[in-house]
Amino acid sequence: MELHHAISSHYVMEARLLQDLQYREWFDTVIAEDIHYWMPIFEQRYVRDRRAEPTPNDAAIFNDNYEELSQRVDRLLTGQVWMEDPPSRIRYFVTNVEAYETAPDEFEVFSNVLVHRNRRQTEVYVHTLGREDKMRKTDEGFKVFSRKIIHDARVVQDKNLYFFA
Amino acid sequence: MIDTAELVDNATGSQSRKVFWDKDVYQLELERIFSRCWLFLGHESSIPKPGDFLTTFMAEDRVILSHQADGSYKAFINSCTHRGNQVCHADSGNAKAFVCNYHGWVFGQDGALVDVPMEARCYHNNLEKSELGLKQVRVESYKGFIFGCHDPEAPPLQEYLGDFCWYLDTIWGGPDGGMELLGPPMKSLLSCNWKVPTENFVGDGYHVGWTHAAALQMIGGELAALSGNRADMPFDDLGLQFTTRHGHGFGVIDNAATAIHVNREGYQKFLEDNRGKVREELGPERERLYMGHWNSSIFPNCSFLYGTNTFKIWHPRGPHEIEVWTYTLVPRNADDETKRSIQREAIRSFGTAGTLESDDGENMSSATYVNQGRITRQGRLNSSMGVQREGPHPVYPGIVGVSFIGETSYRGFYRFWQEMLEAPDWAAVHANDDNWDEMWTNRNFWPDRMASNPDTSA
Ligand code: FES
Ligand SMILES: [Fe+2]
Repeated sequence: MELHHAISSHYVMEARLLQDLQYREWFDTVIAEDIHYWMPIFEQRYVRDRRAEPTPNDAAIFNDNYEELSQRVDRLLTGQVWMEDPPSRIRYFVTNVEAYETAPDEFEVFSNVLVHRNRRQTEVYVHTLGREDKMRKTDEGFKVFSRKIIHDARVVQDKNLYFFA
Repeated sequence: MIDTAELVDNATGSQSRKVFWDKDVYQLELERIFSRCWLFLGHESSIPKPGDFLTTFMAEDRVILSHQADGSYKAFINSCTHRGNQVCHADSGNAKAFVCNYHGWVFGQDGALVDVPMEARCYHNNLEKSELGLKQVRVESYKGFIFGCHDPEAPPLQEYLGDFCWYLDTIWGGPDGGMELLGPPMKSLLSCNWKVPTENFVGDGYHVGWTHAAALQMIGGELAALSGNRADMPFDDLGLQFTTRHGHGFGVIDNAATAIHVNREGYQKFLEDNRGKVREELGPERERLYMGHWNSSIFPNCSFLYGTNTFKIWHPRGPHEIEVWTYTLVPRNADDETKRSIQREAIRSFGTAGTLESDDGENMSSATYVNQGRITRQGRLNSSMGVQREGPHPVYPGIVGVSFIGETSYRGFYRFWQEMLEAPDWAAVHANDDNWDEMWTNRNFWPDRMASNPDTSA
């Protein structure tokens, strides 16, 4: 129960940093140096199809290490991303947090995330994500070293998926 | 009636804003462009074995592309000939037959109706199955890239690609073994007219430094200097622009093939290892292209970046929306590690969360949606950059413009677009074969330029 509360609070804090556009702080607070940040592409396949699930060697919308994720943060902080000026508004709703200790101070955590984005005057985009994290507890808090994000939509109904979740 | 001369003015390089907005123009495009041109369906590498299939679109029509037992490819409309239900809902797979979910009609790999439930008891064997196959599409491929066409009068694919094959042969089927596609594709909706991204890829070197300033800074390397459009760069010496008879075109930035990739060692080495062969077999002019970065569109709605290696199809969904499909181009003969690395880099820059592609979405949609305003819509769009600094070239086929920052390929794209809208059939298009490029009046541009400066030729 205590573990669950600690991790849920950590996710709430993470969402606040992202909502407040504190991308560098988010990265420094939450992301471990051995991160694999991954959003695979799932095809629509028949149930009888025996092909394997996507691996990190297959097509993926995100498939980043620490350096690469950091570069994505840098891009947002250049002040020259015209689509984000004025900035869009983003909200995260994190639910169904389910945490398991897999090794001393290491956890596997499942959660659901609903992302709501507003842009410009009337643009609205909604995404639902399944998130599978592996994280460890350090002196500074929890650091994620593996994040697999499952986007529920086959056809993404948004201009881009350039947000962190 | 639609006045196509008002929609496109070739002499000055301008278009009516209606081309991005008007529903009647869009209906005419469906009839005279998308129902008559060759449209990209898929690559052989995506369906390598007999029985392999994928589902895709030709404009707004759903089609199944299927690898036949004899090694050929067939494509047919993905809609049951009984009550019209969509037959196949998978993105890809391997199937001996396609069974409609509604009443269970069974179609073979080739689209023929092979079985219906209770044929004897309820149809009393009176159903003419041979006349009820799924509607077939013409299918042809070029160097492994498979296209479909609805018009029996259309020229064969290779003739439709025409002069552009001379360029494609450098990369798709060249001395290095050619290219294939890696999927599955990303898919997303974007609220824009299909021509905005197509024209952007065919000929827009101009926007790169401004739109993508942030990403170029982040990536560093050769193209970082473009960031913010630094005025002191010798743009005329950095590349070229091309357009051809049937609207296909591209721009090339010299020696920049891998420049958008952050991790590029494997791919760069592959190109260095193969450039000698390309020079030997195709000449120095195409070796130059082989080592360059291309932004290209194949008329009407397929685009790619050679070097960055993203590959896109812009499926129209009415005049104001598209569904974007994104694959990765990779050299067939590269090792697996290099292919994977190219795929990761291509998606990181030009996928749905691409560090560059994410910059473009609003340009595409707002250039479309501003035309909701009636007064706005009465205005025109300008694509005159570099007019007259282009013409026929002694080496390169088609029409060649002097810089990769210019609008030569826009002019070639809209010239053919207008020609297709105006022509009642392909025969009328063929009638213009000998004088299609007469709008480019500066016939001596290249001979003169090369005589005065021998270094700028190739
Ligand atoms: S609609 Fe396909 S079987 Fe009836
Ligand atoms: Fe762009």
